[in-house]
Amino acid sequence: MRRLLRFSALLTLVALALMVWSMFDPTPLPVMIAMTVAQGLGTLAFGLYGYVIVQDLRLGRRDKRTRRDSLTGIPVIPDEKAGPKT
Amino acid sequence: MHFDPLITIALGATALSAILLLWYLIRRPLLTRGTKIVLLFGIGLLPLTTAGTGNVAGYQAMKTRKFCTASCHVMTPYGIDSSNPESLGLAARHGRNEAFGTENCYTCHADYGMFGTITTKIGGLRHVYEYTFNFHQLSLDEALPKIHIVKPFPNATCIRCHSTENPLWKKIGDHASTLVEIRANTLSCASAGCHGAAHPFSHEIHERAKAGAK
Repeated sequence: MRRLLRFSALLTLVALALMVWSMFDPTPLPVMIAMTVAQGLGTLAFGLYGYVIVQDLRLGRRDKRTRRDSLTGIPVIPDEKAGPKT
Repeated sequence: MHFDPLITIALGATALSAILLLWYLIRRPLLTRGTKIVLLFGIGLLPLTTAGTGNVAGYQAMKTRKFCTASCHVMTPYGIDSSNPESLGLAARHGRNEAFGTENCYTCHADYGMFGTITTKIGGLRHVYEYTFNFHQLSLDEALPKIHIVKPFPNATCIRCHSTENPLWKKIGDHASTLVEIRANTLSCASAGCHGAAHPFSHEIHERAKAGAK
C-alpha cells in the first residue's frame, strides 16, 4: 500500500514537471504532452491515491470492528463477503 | 516569458505540491489522517489547480502568432509577412490592428459558432499531423508551393467585424454592388480585384508554381 502511494507521489511529480515544461516552452510538442500524457499520469496518480485511501479505510473499519467485538466478548465472525472457506 | 497570473497560480500550486510530495517521499511518515490530508493536497487538489490553470494558459499560448509560426519552419515566412510593418497583405494589416495584434493568425483562421473552438482545435491537430508526416522534412522552397488553405476562406470570418451594415462600408461602390455575393460567400473578400490575398508572397509562389506546371 505504502509503495503504491510512493509510486503515486512520483507519478504526480513527473506529471507536474511535464505541465511546467509546457508553460515555459509553449510550443506544440510540450503543450500536447502536457494535455495528454501529463494529465493521464496525474489522473492515474490520483486514482491510485483514492484506491489506497479506500483500502486503508476499509482495513481500519474492519480492525475497529474486530477490536470492539473482542472487547465485548462476542466471538469474531468471519467476513461474510469472504464466503465459506472450502 | 511575460507575467501571466494563470502561470503564476499554476507554478505556485506546482511548487506547493512538490514540497508536500518530496516531504512524503523523503520522510516516509505513517499513513495517519494528517498524512492523507497532506497527500490529498499534494496528489489531488494542487495538481488539479496546476492542470486547470495550465490548460487555460496553454490555450492562450496556442492563440499567439509565435506559436503558429515559430514552431513549424514552413509557417515562418507567414509569420514574418504577418508581422512586417511594411507589408500590405491582409494578414499584416490585421496584425497591425490592436484588436488582432499578436493573435491575428488565430482570430482569422479560427472557426466560430457554438463548436468553433473544438473544430479549430481538431484543425490544429490536423496541422500537427500534416507537419509531422508531410512537411517536416521539406525545405521551405519545396514546402511553400504545396501549402494550401484546406477550405476557401469564408467571408463570414470577415463579416464578424465588418458587418456589411455600416453606412460607411456600404458607401463604397464595390461593396454596394457586390453585397449579395459577399453575404452569400460566392465572392471572396480576399479575391484578386477585391482586397487581394491575405498572404501575398504565398499567392505569388502558387501562381509561379502553376505557371511552371503549364
